[in-house]
Amino acid sequence: MSSDGFLLATYAPGTSLIHRAPLWLKFLLVVGCGMASFLIADWAVSAVVLVLLCGLFLLSGAGAARLFRAVRPVLPVLLAIGLFQWWQLGAPTAARIVLNVLICVVAASILTATTPVQRLLDGVASLARPFRRLGADPERFALTIAIMLRSIPFVAGAYSDVRDSARARGLERNPRALVLPVFITTVAYARQTGEALAARGLGEPEDDEGQ
Amino acid sequence: MSGIVLDRVSVRVPVDGSPAPRTLLEKISLSLAERRIGVIGANGSGKSTLLRLLNGLVAPSDGTVMVDGADTARAVREVRRSVGFVFTDPLSQLVMPTGREDVELSLRRSIRNATERRAHAEAVLDRFGLLPLADQSIYELSGGERQLLALAAVLAVDPEVLVLDEPSTLLDLRNRELLRRTLAGLRQQVILSTHDLELALDMDRVLVVDAGRVVFDGGPAAAVAQYRELSAASLPPAGPGAGLGSAGARQDRLEKR
Repeated sequence: MSSDGFLLATYAPGTSLIHRAPLWLKFLLVVGCGMASFLIADWAVSAVVLVLLCGLFLLSGAGAARLFRAVRPVLPVLLAIGLFQWWQLGAPTAARIVLNVLICVVAASILTATTPVQRLLDGVASLARPFRRLGADPERFALTIAIMLRSIPFVAGAYSDVRDSARARGLERNPRALVLPVFITTVAYARQTGEALAARGLGEPEDDEGQ
Repeated sequence: MSGIVLDRVSVRVPVDGSPAPRTLLEKISLSLAERRIGVIGANGSGKSTLLRLLNGLVAPSDGTVMVDGADTARAVREVRRSVGFVFTDPLSQLVMPTGREDVELSLRRSIRNATERRAHAEAVLDRFGLLPLADQSIYELSGGERQLLALAAVLAVDPEVLVLDEPSTLLDLRNRELLRRTLAGLRQQVILSTHDLELALDMDRVLVVDAGRVVFDGGPAAAVAQYRELSAASLPPAGPGAGLGSAGARQDRLEKR
C-alpha cells in the first residue's frame, strides 16, 4: 500500500521555537484558524494569513516538500470547489473559500509537523479528562484521534493504488471501479486495525494499574 | 514458564446462506508448556484460528482455553497482558506513523510519565537495532524492519508468551534468518504458525493441523515429515488449473474473517 498522499504533514523532529511551543498554543492556533476561516470575508486577508502560516511552517524547519505533500491531496478538490464557486459567486468569493480551506490545512499541518503523535495523544487525553465524570475514557478518545490521523494517509494511499490499477485496466473513468475497491479496502483496514488494537490490549477501558 | 491449556475446544463460524456453521477447529485438547512450539499445516487448516484462541482474539464455540489459569473468553484483558500477538503483515499491526510512536503507544497503559515512556521505548528499539529508524515512517521501512518493529512493539510490554501468526511469510531469506535469531534469543515462550519448515525445525514441539484437527503432536523432524506426507497425499491430479478454488482455500477465507 502506498501512502504518498497525506492530508496533514507528518511529524518532523526538530528543536525550533514552534516545536518547543506549548501544545495548548498550537491547539489554539488550529482552533483560531478554523474559526477565522468562517470570519474572514476578504480574500486578500485570507491570502495574507495563508502566507503567514506557510512562513510559520517553514520556520519550523519541516520543509516545503513536507508542506506540499500535505496540501497536494486536497488541491484537486479545491480546484473543483474554486471553479464552481467562481461560476456561482464570482472570483473573490471563490478565492476566499479556497484560501480559507488551505489556511485550515496548513494550520493543522503546523501542529502535526511539530508535535509527536504521543504528545498529541497526551494533550487530547488531558483535554478529554474533565469528561471522565460523564463516562468518557480520555485514553480511548485520544487513541481514536490518533487512529483517525493514521488512517488518512492509508485511505489516500488506497485511492492512489486503486486509481493506478483502474488505469492499468482502462477503467479510470468508471466511478465504481474507483469507489468500491477503496471502500472495501478501507473497511478491511478498519477491521484489521481493530483486531490489532484488541490483540495489543489497546483501547480497552482504563484501569488504575498505570504507574 | 506459562501454562496454556485447551480443553475440548471447537470453533465454528456461521456461513452466509447456510443454516449449518462451518467448523474451523474440532475438539482440540492440548497443554502447551514447551518453550518453542510450532504449528504447521495447509492454508485453511485452522492454524491461525488455533493461535488466535490463545490471545482471546477468537472465542471458542465449545470448550475452554486457559492461560495461567485465566479463561481467554472471560479474562480477556488479563490474557492479553500475558500473551502478545504478532500478525503476518506488520502493517496491519503497526498503528502509529513511526516506530518510536508505535512502541510508545504499547507503553501508554503501563508507563504514564511521558519522559519515562520515551526512554523505555528507545531502550526497546535499541535492543532490536531499530533506534536509528525510530523516526522513520513505517512505510519507508523494509519488510524485515517492519516485522522486527511489530515484534518490538509487542515485546515492549514484556508478555510471558509470544504468539506469531506466520511471521516469516512476507520476509526474504536474510530477514527470515534475522527473525529466527531474534526469536531464538527471547526469554518468552514462543508459539508460532509457519509455512517455513526450517523455522519449524527450530521448535521444541510441533503440532500439525489438518482440517481443524491436530493430526500430529511431537518432535519437529517427525512433524515436518508428517506434514510433507499429508501435503503430498492431498495434491490434486496434475493438469492446468487443477485444485484451484479448493475447499481448503474457501476455509482459509472463512478463517481470516
